[in-house]
Amino acid sequence: MSSRRSRSRQSTTSSRISDDQINDLVSKLQQLLPEIRNRCSDKVSASKVLQETCNYIKSLHQEVDDLSERLSELLENTDSTQASIIRSLLTQ
Amino acid sequence: MSPSQQPSSPNPTHLKIRFARRFLRALNNLNITKTSPDDDDDGENRVYRRSRRVKIAAYTAMASVVGSRRAWSRAVLWKVRNRSRNRSLLSVRPRRKRVDCKITNNDHDHAKVFVRRRNPNPKRDPFRDSGQVLKLRKLVPGAETMDSWCLMDETADYIKCLAAQVEVMKTLVDLYTTT
Repeated sequence: MSSRRSRSRQSTTSSRISDDQINDLVSKLQQLLPEIRNRCSDKVSASKVLQETCNYIKSLHQEVDDLSERLSELLENTDSTQASIIRSLLTQ
Repeated sequence: MSPSQQPSSPNPTHLKIRFARRFLRALNNLNITKTSPDDDDDGENRVYRRSRRVKIAAYTAMASVVGSRRAWSRAVLWKVRNRSRNRSLLSVRPRRKRVDCKITNNDHDHAKVFVRRRNPNPKRDPFRDSGQVLKLRKLVPGAETMDSWCLMDETADYIKCLAAQVEVMKTLVDLYTTT
């Protein structure tokens, strides 16, 4: 619970955040986006980074949806003993 | 909070292994084999419900590995917990998700007022009312109540974890397909 407290403390200082910190956060986010990861950070605007972030999260959500469907199909069609062997191997 | 917990996910491989373990344990408990008791449902509905259960297991596994140190994981865990609580009260499925949203919206209104009061200089926040930020708030769990700085931080962590979870699921699909 200490994390919650420190987080709220963090946000009270948010009005004092510097431009450097803004750029830092934006470029940190940019590093995580495969579409614009390798571009020079000066050439990508903050709003472009945010837009790409939204698109990337959406595509990841879609992937989780598709993979869940695929997995549930596979699990249903897999012989239960075989499935449990795989699971036990992986959970070692 | 135990002292061994790191503020952020340090090693992506380590994270993936932990996600995989948690997820597999959850799948094991789901027990989606041909012998499941809910086989009397009609085909399409059953497929939908099963993939939904796998999906919820995936998000829950991810959030419980991260634990309570992140706002997004707290939001996911809270939502899942509420979901199962509502489910035990209502045996039919009358759009449970909507109920959850209502609650978060109320929270959201409170928090909005709170954040506004706390932040004396909102003009310093360049992302404040931009459409992208509003979109992002809808995509990251629990983001309705964060200020923009927190949102960026949480988003970065959420993306990292989500990408790792997708890879774990891909690996599993490959494993099951090849055997």
